Amino acid sequence: MSENTFKVMKQKNMRRISGFAEPMRVLSQLSIYLFLFLMALIVLFPFYWMVISSLKSLAEYKLSPPTFWPKQVLLSNYADAFTTANLGRLFWNTMYVGVVSTILSLIITVLTAFAFARLEFKGKETLFGALLATMMIPGELFTITNYSTVIKFGWLDTFTVLIVPFLVSIFYIYLLRQNFLQIPNELYLAAKVDGTGDFKYLWKVMVPLSLPTLISITILKMMGAWNSYIWPRLVANKDDTHRMITNGLRNAFTETTGDVNYPVQMAAVALVSIPLFLVFVFLRKYIMSGVSRSGIKG
Amino acid sequence: MKKLVSMLLVLAMMLCVAGVSVAEEAAVPAYDGSEVTITFYHTMGSNLTTVLDAYIAEFNAIYPNIKIEYTSVGGYDDVRDQISKEIPEGIQPNIAYCYPDHVALYNLAKAVQTLDAYIDSEAVVTRADGTTEIMGLTAEQKADFIEGYYNEGREFGDGLMYTMPLSKSTEVLYYNKTFFDANNIAVPTTWAELEEVCKKIIEIDYYSIPLGYDSEANWFITMTEQYNTPYTSATAPHFLFDNAENKAFIKMFRDWYQEGYLTTQSLYGAYTSGLFTSTGDIKSYMSIGSSAGATYQRPAKNADGTYPFEVGIATIPQVDANNKKVISQGPSLCIFKKANPQEVAASWLFVKYLTTTVEFQAEFSMASGYVPVIKSVAENEIYADFIANADGGDFVSALSAKVCLEQQDAYYTSPAFNGSSTARDQVGALMTKCFTIPDGSDVDGLIDAAFADAIAECEYAVGW
Amino acid sequence: MVDSKQQWKAWLYLAPAIILLLVFTVWPIINTVAMAFMEGYSGLGKTGGEVTFKIGVGNFTHVVAHPDFRQALLNTCLLCVITVPVSTVLALLIAVALNAIKPLQKALQTVFFVPYVTNSIAIGMVFAAMFNVIGNIGTRREIITSYGVVNDIIRAFGGKWINWINSGSSYWANMFVLIVYIVWNALPFKILVLLGGLQSVNKQYYDAAKVDSTPRWRVLTRITVPLLSPMIAYVVITGFIGGFKEYTSIVGIFGEKMGPAHLPGRLNTMVGLIYESLENDNQGGASAAALILFGIILVVTMINLYVSKKRVHY
Repeated sequence: MSENTFKVMKQKNMRRISGFAEPMRVLSQLSIYLFLFLMALIVLFPFYWMVISSLKSLAEYKLSPPTFWPKQVLLSNYADAFTTANLGRLFWNTMYVGVVSTILSLIITVLTAFAFARLEFKGKETLFGALLATMMIPGELFTITNYSTVIKFGWLDTFTVLIVPFLVSIFYIYLLRQNFLQIPNELYLAAKVDGTGDFKYLWKVMVPLSLPTLISITILKMMGAWNSYIWPRLVANKDDTHRMITNGLRNAFTETTGDVNYPVQMAAVALVSIPLFLVFVFLRKYIMSGVSRSGIKG
Repeated sequence: MKKLVSMLLVLAMMLCVAGVSVAEEAAVPAYDGSEVTITFYHTMGSNLTTVLDAYIAEFNAIYPNIKIEYTSVGGYDDVRDQISKEIPEGIQPNIAYCYPDHVALYNLAKAVQTLDAYIDSEAVVTRADGTTEIMGLTAEQKADFIEGYYNEGREFGDGLMYTMPLSKSTEVLYYNKTFFDANNIAVPTTWAELEEVCKKIIEIDYYSIPLGYDSEANWFITMTEQYNTPYTSATAPHFLFDNAENKAFIKMFRDWYQEGYLTTQSLYGAYTSGLFTSTGDIKSYMSIGSSAGATYQRPAKNADGTYPFEVGIATIPQVDANNKKVISQGPSLCIFKKANPQEVAASWLFVKYLTTTVEFQAEFSMASGYVPVIKSVAENEIYADFIANADGGDFVSALSAKVCLEQQDAYYTSPAFNGSSTARDQVGALMTKCFTIPDGSDVDGLIDAAFADAIAECEYAVGW
Repeated sequence: MVDSKQQWKAWLYLAPAIILLLVFTVWPIINTVAMAFMEGYSGLGKTGGEVTFKIGVGNFTHVVAHPDFRQALLNTCLLCVITVPVSTVLALLIAVALNAIKPLQKALQTVFFVPYVTNSIAIGMVFAAMFNVIGNIGTRREIITSYGVVNDIIRAFGGKWINWINSGSSYWANMFVLIVYIVWNALPFKILVLLGGLQSVNKQYYDAAKVDSTPRWRVLTRITVPLLSPMIAYVVITGFIGGFKEYTSIVGIFGEKMGPAHLPGRLNTMVGLIYESLENDNQGGASAAALILFGIILVVTMINLYVSKKRVHY
């Protein structure tokens, strides 16, 4: 829509101001709320179902029509889930991979973004363009070769294999570079005049100024560890020593014999979802800005 | 461009140089007492690793320098997937649980050690206490193996021995003995009898699905054995199951399924053992499943410590009750080639120990419900006691073992080749696919198409 | 002028990233392309001593000949073509609605974002449980133990229950469940991006419309959509790229058999084929499938970019 159209519209509006729309507005406002509540209900229903199922006994779970609130709240399902799926170990593995890979990834991202944002070197634009271009390639294409590579490195069933191949994210570098570019160049030049080294400037000025982006990256990275499934299944699924939470969850409830205790399964699912949920509740602002930033600047 | 491609090719190959050295096996060396660490992949749960731990300790009393490290790697398929990742880099374990088709896969890389030279070796090994034994199997040890199980190790087309049997299971028919007795129903021995029993059960309890079958794949393969119709062949053409006889039995069972006589795990949407042990409104009165899973087929105890019903166990229904056929399952052990011949020799000694030690075989069987592979276990006092105590409640595992031991000559195996597991998956899916063909559609035509599709999938899988 | 000292320093800063990229990004591109043209390339086979590979397009023809290939391609395309527009329109409506309210706006915004922070396999298992029917479905003497909560709700409203995901279920019932799940999963990100866009839109356009009492619908189609077109283009393009890589949502609901019990593989996707080849030790086939997928994504993204160039108002 061009600027001209708006000017015309605005002029038109100046001419006729309406005053009878109040009841209509209330009604439409009401229908908006109705729509939002309905959608919210649909969005939340699986969570609700997960939680109440996780509290039922197996017999009650199988009831048809189902109960929408457990007759008897069985918290023991959670204890069972924790032991059945060896969740303690899986949580620890996932946390470890998440924390270590986040820290290393942040360091690499900051250094690289700084180089692309502030330093001058030959072929900078070409290199950056080439990096951005690789974002188009589906990750599976890398997986095939990386799979052989890590086996060759002897990394099968180690934490290294879950951390190192994904330390560099072009997307995060891009995100942070954009952020660094917004910091006025004068600050950098002033620091140079003062004799502040590049590294000190990066650490003392740029990093603090980009904290929100860094926090967003941290959270996205942690969520990545929490949700990873395919890669760990390929390379670190021998036993629980290095297994990630999602693989463990999928494995623990696919035994070949016996009756699946669905409530316990749901309890396990709930347990897996809770940490992410808590992180989200406390760091909502950062997560949402991190995700949306990736959108708007795209 | 050509130059580039060939350069890349060379580069790729250089990076992929394999780690497994193919050692020629003329005379095998005896274990010389050197320190070695043996890795062992299995699928045991904690109930079985306790048994294993105890016998590793015993083994180490004899050979203190052989360190055994084991890993429980999920299920059988997980063991296969894990090892096939490790073989190209030479980091595979020394010993692994295996099924014949796994060995066929590993053999693509020629990674499995053939055992004939070890079995026949007369070389003398000195134990920690100064006594000696020969590397190989003594004549008594060889004769002690149940012949059928032992011979499974050499069914890979070249007559060489690749695996040693560890423990065996089969499929058995679990039935609700309390219900059968109360209604004066005889346990079916043939499929024809089964049909009548199903009809009878439905008359008594309309809201029941009389029979639950755990594994569609086992069912199909067992039927081809019972009818003696083609299934697969170890030599090309491999996939022979598309024939009129097989279609005929599938069509018959489809009809039974449609009548509600039976269901299977994937058709039912939940485990059939759960349906069998259910005390709710909808249940089954018969269940065909692994003999090693007997405890899953037993209902949960009532509050007063009694069982809601007694479980009976019998041989699965047959086409011809005088020529019984039941599937032979359960893990074998294979040994992988390694650069250090002492590692291989030590692995062999451990495998020999596990498969020929009566006490281990007995305890392993009692803890798991799998049956032993050597005959002398039956003479073991503790084991004889265990079998004598068999009942349909607390000692249901013993009952299952007892039934298995009684039908030992009915066991069959199917050919193992690269692609045999695909055939297995495909015929399993074929059963469910055909069963769900609704009434009123072109049943024969759709069954034909389903068979053709399954064959195509199999052929594709071995396409290279 | 770039002095050499700074050159040197820049590369030092870049070194960790460059090294990792060379190993885990550049080499894979080269190697995967090479493997795709080595017929029947297999890790185990090579270990066994077969080191000669014919150079050719055999891997590509083999992938295309896969019994599931056409189905996988169809599934992938259908999922994209359906879920992307549905989730985008729904997200747009929700974002606009959220933007139009004051009380509860923050709370509702949070609610709509929750699915983003969940584990897709885990919640897939919840969806599977909600749609799972237990019983001998579709037989002459049908006995159902449990209908699953979704069917229970349908039945409560007097409808006929549906076999969603179990054996004997229809293709479109399966697809419906997948679409619901994928849309549910895709909404948060899209809502967030679109809402962020809306909030940064110059308010005076709307004031003008308000003064003019332009109907809401017209405001939406004539003002909001054009103003948001860059963000819409963004979510559509990323949605398509993501859609072509659909895999874990299917594993979550149907398990690794990628289909209902009676037809495993019916819901396979391109990424599913890649992993199947990889698991079967057929790296050549996996590489070829990955290149085919890349080609498809490239073409679709080009089309998207072309269309958005014509239609997006910056």
